[in-house]
Amino acid sequence: MRFVDEYRDPAAARALVRRIATLSNGKRFAFMEVCGGHTHTIYRHGIEHLLPDGVELVHGPGCPVCVIPMGRIDDAIAVAEQPGVLFTTFGDMMRVPGSSGSLLDAKARGADVRFVYSPLDALRLAVDNPGREVVFFAVGFETTAPSTAVTLRRAKAEGVSNFSVFCNHVTIVPPIKAILDSPDLRLDGFLGPGHVSTVIGQRPYRFVAEQYGKPLVTAGFEPLDILQAVEMLLVQCAAGRADVENQYTRCVVEEGNPRALAIMAEVFALRPHFEWRGLGFISQSALRLADAYADFDAERRFAVPGVRVADPKACQCGEVLKGVIKPWQCKVFGTACTPETPIGTCMVSSEGACAAYYNFGRLHREAALSVGARA
Amino acid sequence: MSVGTAAQSAAGPAGALDAERGAAGAGGLPPGFGVDVAGAALALARRFAHGGTLWCFAPAWPAHAHHVAVEFVHPVVVGTRALPAVAVSAEAGVAGLRTLCRAGDALVVVASSEEPAARRALARAPAWGLTTIWIGAGPRPAPGAADHVLWWEGEVPSQAAHTGRFVLSYHLLWELTHVCFEHPGLLEEPQVCSGPACVTCGDEGRLVEVLRLGEGGAVLVRAATGLEWADASLVEGVSPGSLVLVHAGSVLTVLAEGSGE
Ligand code: SF4
Repeated sequence: MRFVDEYRDPAAARALVRRIATLSNGKRFAFMEVCGGHTHTIYRHGIEHLLPDGVELVHGPGCPVCVIPMGRIDDAIAVAEQPGVLFTTFGDMMRVPGSSGSLLDAKARGADVRFVYSPLDALRLAVDNPGREVVFFAVGFETTAPSTAVTLRRAKAEGVSNFSVFCNHVTIVPPIKAILDSPDLRLDGFLGPGHVSTVIGQRPYRFVAEQYGKPLVTAGFEPLDILQAVEMLLVQCAAGRADVENQYTRCVVEEGNPRALAIMAEVFALRPHFEWRGLGFISQSALRLADAYADFDAERRFAVPGVRVADPKACQCGEVLKGVIKPWQCKVFGTACTPETPIGTCMVSSEGACAAYYNFGRLHREAALSVGARA
Repeated sequence: MSVGTAAQSAAGPAGALDAERGAAGAGGLPPGFGVDVAGAALALARRFAHGGTLWCFAPAWPAHAHHVAVEFVHPVVVGTRALPAVAVSAEAGVAGLRTLCRAGDALVVVASSEEPAARRALARAPAWGLTTIWIGAGPRPAPGAADHVLWWEGEVPSQAAHTGRFVLSYHLLWELTHVCFEHPGLLEEPQVCSGPACVTCGDEGRLVEVLRLGEGGAVLVRAATGLEWADASLVEGVSPGSLVLVHAGSVLTVLAEGSGE
């Protein structure tokens, strides 16, 4: 929410780290942070290096760009390259590689691809350019989907017929369930996403505790938020409890945002299944436009190839997203795959585990520990 | 199984911090005060070096606001520069600060953690793009209430206001700010490589203040980066002065009610 030094107070961080060390008591714990924003904070502030050896943070599939499969990028490029189309997208999607380049490459070939900060900006472009077909590449979890829904409702009310949405919104709960069902599961709990939870609230996570016996703590985005959430998870583990708790009380309430949930229910419908990079097809894990909004569905308005494309052989994004390997354990990390020349999606967005580690995480562990000790 | 709500309480950062700060401070200063004031002075020097103004606000003790401003404006040591600082009266209050402050400025507040006008100003300061320093005594503010907190815990605020505790705090702040100016290399803002910002990848939620209600659920908001329009049709109870969280152009949640200023 805000970056302030008081959320980064070294004394408070050291005190929490000591509590974490006491609670973990030399045992091994692995907690997954589901959200890309958390991954970014963890690497940017070297939190992994401050934790005791036995407490590991595993980076999950919470960056929406990282989980987009190559076939969907190819579909987006196919739409963007159609005559008369003005294709709009959030920043990071521009660089995600498809099977034959990225949207940035398509732009270089002459396609009109533009960054926007909000779907409402895309709608404004449509109003300002009545002779063009404006398409918004909708990605993101439940934090972003309400904004797309608001935009679509407004487009319908205003009769903006040259606007459509290529919908790739995904939902947070099914991938958590898929990870919990994974045979290689070795997790002791989850850090729940912060701003997604402002929309969906805490209730959708109950199954994690009730059915799988794992604790989940929704966390904020500052270093002390993350450390406190880890401490809260360890308190539960030490007491043999599995509850859903909320560390991010300054933003997240139990029931979430009912209006946002209602408009999402009106504008979107669940897809029966959707492919997630590295996790495969997950049922009911993504949104399409509801039939009442079919006129605004880019997949119905334009021909898209819809072909499934296998990841490059060298790419180990799937294992990274499931927490089976760490970014640096991928064979091409930092050599063939860098933020400038990404092979996999996790290297594209700065919230992707590989890019976050590449940008911030290469600090030597002992150096980080000595910095922490001096701070 | 239960769904719990853990308040940021004794088990959280604040409680842990109390234990961490247990060691005695040097020269009669509170434990950890030296580190806190050094960090605050560096942040303040950087704001000044980049053209910022210091706004001084002490709603219950206006003399302290004037004193802080005078310290910075008046170069009592030969060779030190006068730094732009202005006291804002209790009457002008939050509304006055809102009008006067620009992004990149700094705000020093001298007040107890219970002072309502101080809390309102400091809660809004991030949306205005200000660096904030809170000087006070008594129960410590919640984590995140200001960027830098210079605090005399265990003292009664109304007494600390007259025993020289606060004066010592901002004298040290002033002196150390000038020490930072003697080391120009310190004045550069650290360049953090954060890569391209993507609202959806980072699950972004930006704190902004609502200035005006527009048509069709639109609201004009003030963010650290300037004025912008957002859609507020997903939330209830938004009014001028409300603090809200914006993601991808939509208000997701209301963090503080407006006061109609
Ligand atoms: S280094 Fe590149 S290819 Fe390997 S897992 Fe990371 S993003 Fe994927």
